Amino acid sequence: MSDLTNSRIGIVGAGTMGTGIAITAIRAGFATMLADAVPAQLPVALDHVDRFLGQSVQRGKLTAVDRDAALDRLSLAHDFERLADCDIVIESISEDLHAKQELFRGLGECVPQETVYVTNTSTLTVTAISAGAVRPDRLVGMHFCNPAPLMHLIEVVDGMLTSATTHALALELARALGKTAVEVKDTPGFIVNRLLIPFENACIRELEHGAATVEDIDRAVRFGLGYPMGPFQLLDTVGLDVHRAVSLSMFEQLRDPVFAPPPLVDQMIAVGHLGRKTGRGFYQYDEPGMFGA
Amino acid sequence: MTDSVSSTYVGILGYGTMGAGIAQVAAAAGCGVFVVDVGEEALVRGAGLLSQSLHKAVAHGKLADDAVETILGRVESGTDPRALGHCHLVIEAVTELYDVKAAALKEISRCVDGEAIIATNTSSLSVTALAANVSNPGRFAGLHFFNPAPVMRLVEIIPGIDTAAGTVGRLRAWAAEVGKEPVVVKDQPGFLVNAVLMPYLNQAVRELDAGLASAEDIDIAVRLGLGYPKGPLELLDLIGLDTHLYATTSAYEETADARFAAPPMLRRLVAAGRLGKKVGSGLRTEKVHE
Repeated sequence: MSDLTNSRIGIVGAGTMGTGIAITAIRAGFATMLADAVPAQLPVALDHVDRFLGQSVQRGKLTAVDRDAALDRLSLAHDFERLADCDIVIESISEDLHAKQELFRGLGECVPQETVYVTNTSTLTVTAISAGAVRPDRLVGMHFCNPAPLMHLIEVVDGMLTSATTHALALELARALGKTAVEVKDTPGFIVNRLLIPFENACIRELEHGAATVEDIDRAVRFGLGYPMGPFQLLDTVGLDVHRAVSLSMFEQLRDPVFAPPPLVDQMIAVGHLGRKTGRGFYQYDEPGMFGA
Repeated sequence: MTDSVSSTYVGILGYGTMGAGIAQVAAAAGCGVFVVDVGEEALVRGAGLLSQSLHKAVAHGKLADDAVETILGRVESGTDPRALGHCHLVIEAVTELYDVKAAALKEISRCVDGEAIIATNTSSLSVTALAANVSNPGRFAGLHFFNPAPVMRLVEIIPGIDTAAGTVGRLRAWAAEVGKEPVVVKDQPGFLVNAVLMPYLNQAVRELDAGLASAEDIDIAVRLGLGYPKGPLELLDLIGLDTHLYATTSAYEETADARFAAPPMLRRLVAAGRLGKKVGSGLRTEKVHE
């Protein structure tokens, strides 16, 4: 494992994050296998990879030759046993503790003992996920930000049983992927969500009690604080349902009301105003769009 | 206030950093400006701040060289508040203390005619409470510029309980005409920006104290993960830890909202004199978290 450049990376879960991590990995030169238990998800992911790299070529960020080489490094699988020859397996399935625990327990039976396991969890703790894993010392958290191919940050998180060697390998992998790693304690939300979620909820509460309009709150945050997007533009992009799930998960673990999703979120979800993807959230959109596409 | 910016005459009370900044914004947009402060010394200092800021804008390529004279030519100053008599809009920008602002607003109220709009640039006092010092509170509102006023595009407009809708509309139009992004915000502690910023800064300090990550990594994560121009801890160093402690404590006293309660680490750092960039030592300027 000392020479990371020849490492083979497996990614489990071909959703937005898993696909984004796959793009990052093949672009950085890694032979990568993207696996999903749902076979129908794989062509969707492949199409996304294709379109993303095509756009990179159009924008002059990547040569056509490099794109073809990157695509050649990608293989797809729906049978997890094919991950057996991967040196690093990155989990990016749904944000469900039991599903993640089950996955790592199962992977322990089909991949070799030396494999390093990475969880891309954003809100659960690495320690909780490692419970029941065959080799919890070889499990580490690497939280990529969405969209993974564009965002430079990775939060590296040790669980209680993560070994120093595994930690060092995670830092090295982040570097090899062209990312900047920060080291964070294993606590729900790590740094980014820990600070973002209460901020977003505070803005929703300001809206609920009439402190200003949606547009004015967004403009105040953009022009007063210099943030790239206003809180409601960001919530519409992330999706109200995703925001609710993340908030609620952190609230349940931390029991601090600043993480509790405000009632307006439930109301908007009830009427289907989930954000860009449904054409309506805090704003109305002409056509539904996908973040990072 | 008249319909056109160039024929709007703006009075400003207080020639400190904010007063000078607002004078620059108004004059650069074509308004005639009269700034009042208490003594010759204050006027000289204020005029110095204004010309310094204009020359900085020229150096950064934000302003043409020959515009400096034109802008300075639109700004007059004096110590007699009666000179504000013919202003269409008077903005109070004196020290952020209720008694000082109350006295200034009473003075303005005596000097201007009943049609003129009076605004306060307070950042932390209640606009409704300050309105009690103005003879006709319908034409009074908060007009909160951010520091440095010529650079920061946001202006919060804060109606008090008695502020007339027309006053809000005219302030909004004027702020847009002088090139700002006006937002209308409720009269509550911190208005909008500081109401959402202060709890976020407090939380960042609490997380640092709890050992979530190093101060540097927290700032890096926020800049790279959220795209904010600065991380929370470097921002606190810039604001000044004492300034933030004062602001968040007053918001806490008024709201009893725990999110505004000053984190113990913030108090410790202020007690130790680590106030941030201005003293060369704070959360990021010197390693305090080993």
